[in-house]
Amino acid sequence: MREFIQFTLGGISFGMIYAAIALSLVLIWRGTRILNYSQGAMAMFTTYVAFTVIGHTGNYWAGFAAALAAGLLLGAVIERTVIRPVENKPPLNAVVVTIGLLVFLEGLAGIIYGGQYRSFPPAFSITGLRAGSVPLGVSSNDVFVAGAVLAAALGLALLFRYTSAGLRLRAAAFNAYAARLLGVRVGRMLTLGWALAGLIGALAGVLVSPATFLYPASMDSIFVLGFTAAVIGGLDSPVGAVVGGLILGVALNYVGGYLGSNLVPIFGLAALIVILMIRPSGLFSVSTSRQV
Amino acid sequence: MPVGRPMADQPALAIEDVVAGYGGVLALRGVSLSVRPGTITAVLGANGAGKTTLLTTISGFVRPRQGRITLEGADLTRRRPEEIARAGLAHVPEGQGVITELTVEENLRLGALWRHGHTGRAEALADAYRRFPLLAAARDRSAGTLSGGERQILVIARALMARPRVLLLDEPSLGLAPRIVAQVMGLIRRLRDETGLTVLLVEQNARSALGIADRGVVLNLGQVVAAEDAAVLAADVGLRKHYLGF
Repeated sequence: MREFIQFTLGGISFGMIYAAIALSLVLIWRGTRILNYSQGAMAMFTTYVAFTVIGHTGNYWAGFAAALAAGLLLGAVIERTVIRPVENKPPLNAVVVTIGLLVFLEGLAGIIYGGQYRSFPPAFSITGLRAGSVPLGVSSNDVFVAGAVLAAALGLALLFRYTSAGLRLRAAAFNAYAARLLGVRVGRMLTLGWALAGLIGALAGVLVSPATFLYPASMDSIFVLGFTAAVIGGLDSPVGAVVGGLILGVALNYVGGYLGSNLVPIFGLAALIVILMIRPSGLFSVSTSRQV
Repeated sequence: MPVGRPMADQPALAIEDVVAGYGGVLALRGVSLSVRPGTITAVLGANGAGKTTLLTTISGFVRPRQGRITLEGADLTRRRPEEIARAGLAHVPEGQGVITELTVEENLRLGALWRHGHTGRAEALADAYRRFPLLAAARDRSAGTLSGGERQILVIARALMARPRVLLLDEPSLGLAPRIVAQVMGLIRRLRDETGLTVLLVEQNARSALGIADRGVVLNLGQVVAAEDAAVLAADVGLRKHYLGF
């Protein structure tokens, strides 16, 4: 029972990271119907920005803020420069472009920062917390990870629900034609959507890197699991993305804890395949047909 | 020409010799028409006459290859749809205007979102609810749950939120029961009478459109074949039989 609680709590922390990646994929998918294969590479790149800033200033939070700002900027710039020309083109064009971007960013990071594994600092202590004498299987940093992603997800929810920018973003995503008729500058909304996705991805990058080390391909496997979480939740649903991330994180932690950690990637991919086979629209997407 | 208060003789909307089409097909072959402020102009004609293309060209989704479109003297010709909407032209498209994933109130709020000032927007919303009580009753419902007639009311109400100079209506009666059609037509006429709204109305249903319109324009294969007072058009038996089918 004690093990079970430890695995569950530990899984929540990892699950929130998958949730963050999933959320960034959902933001882009809803706005542009593009699956951004370079989301992980973008997060890797912004984490290098944080790494550099922390190296120069010695201040973790300066690096943290720099990564988020870089994510926002990177998302916006990528949308404006390389994604804009393939919007409303056959889906394969966007697939090729975002995979190209993945290779480009990982190559560029290798040129600038080198290929070696670098350790990235956590925000808080990674010593396990205890309830009395009982180890909980999570650290203060794990609590921070979960809290930070939760705060970001809530912030997004509030933005979408209660602000006029949020209403515009939703209108542009649901029905770009009607939105433009009403004077919504849909192009700017798409840029904003990518920028927000870049921000959430950057958050995932700095949060996960203490556990994975930082190197040009360090986010590849995290991206695959984040994508799996997004598919579990249904690519259209932000809430689904968070729940999907949590389910996946906890489930994979059980697999790692009870069966062995080398089975985790296999189970992650198996989950992706099974979900795509039995319920491709995700567990949480409301299966109403889109009326456009 | 200075932009600002329309002069008495200045049309609210003027289309001059507009040519537009898709690929190699020309849907509009030199269309000219002008809409006087505070009037309803009905654009009539068979399927494929170019009626919908005329509206999508005015609202900027189709780029004219030739010609000029002005709203109260201001050139709209090569501007983008969202900028044209902000210039004061509201386009209610055929059938697909409601954003079904949003609530009724969110749809309405979108209509006035780019207007400056919170009070103006709140007033516009209150106005809409006063004028359309059925929308007030459904304000928190998803717009996808509305009936066809209710959706038509919603898109018109939403277009009015921006206090447009000119309202383009594409087939507002399509797919609606005759009783609802009469209600929608009555609403359009009331808006003209009470608020001085200028309307360009595209309709397949020529009889009911001419019933409320001041002017009628008949399109055939992308060209204007008649432009008359609505009463004159309705009385022209030959034209009616030939182009309007009633």
